[in-house]
Amino acid sequence: MSIALDTGLEFYRHVLELRGYRQQILSADIANASTPGFKAVDLDFQEALGAVAPGEASPERPRSSELAWLVDDVRDLSPAGSGLPAGLAASVKYQVGTPVTLDGNSVDLNQNKVAAAENALQYEAAASFASQTIRMLTIAINGSASQQSNGGS
Amino acid sequence: MSLATALAISGSGMAAEAERLSAVASNLANANSIVTSSGTAYRAREVVFRAVSEGGGIEGPSAIGMAGVRVAAVVESAEPLRTSYDPSSSFADDNGYVTMPNVNAVEEMVNMISAQQDYQANLEAFNVAKSLALRTLAI
Repeated sequence: MSIALDTGLEFYRHVLELRGYRQQILSADIANASTPGFKAVDLDFQEALGAVAPGEASPERPRSSELAWLVDDVRDLSPAGSGLPAGLAASVKYQVGTPVTLDGNSVDLNQNKVAAAENALQYEAAASFASQTIRMLTIAINGSASQQSNGGS
Repeated sequence: MSLATALAISGSGMAAEAERLSAVASNLANANSIVTSSGTAYRAREVVFRAVSEGGGIEGPSAIGMAGVRVAAVVESAEPLRTSYDPSSSFADDNGYVTMPNVNAVEEMVNMISAQQDYQANLEAFNVAKSLALRTLAI
């Protein structure tokens, strides 16, 4: 049996990238909590992961109903310079159902804080899974865990 | 790197909220300033926030996502100046009225609380992004 060393790691790279991207979007929502006319957006993670790593994400899971489809205003959303595919912009959607203030702002501060905390947790989880995978590979290379700890540090 | 951009966005949010707090402080401090350098009574300052792209690309108020926030302008409140009857004042006009600043203390206090909450939210988001970046280094 032969596997490429980075087979397991590739998936976590996508997850961490997307979680980081979502953190960025949620930060932008929070930063613009008082900007007149600003409409809150969020990343549909499930769909984005399906676009970046097809076959890895489970497509049958229902899409998040809290996010509406972006109709046409996707031109500004491509994550330029971040090394992510431009098609990801289609997975960034307006948050709907939040109260819109008189100045046209639709950012729900509490909801976005909760989303950011949840996203951070998921990021940590993916990071620790990635660490485990790396540790597993190290053990496989060195033969045993004790040898790895001797040679590791 | 998206986490670095997240840090920059939260930083821009904190800077903007701090500026809003400065405006509130200025307004409250000058709630009774009858004379300013322009010769008239003090007018309340208000900051105008505007979403801007963090790292180039997006511009304009319609930009969504990936947007930091900037103070686009500081405008003077259009509310009419208050007048109070004080004929003994050396600043009173012919009818004995003194023109006072148009600072609304209640409005300023509400503005201050709002700015404080927004600042804290930005700080939280900043700390989360920072801990995520550190966690990534620990992989």
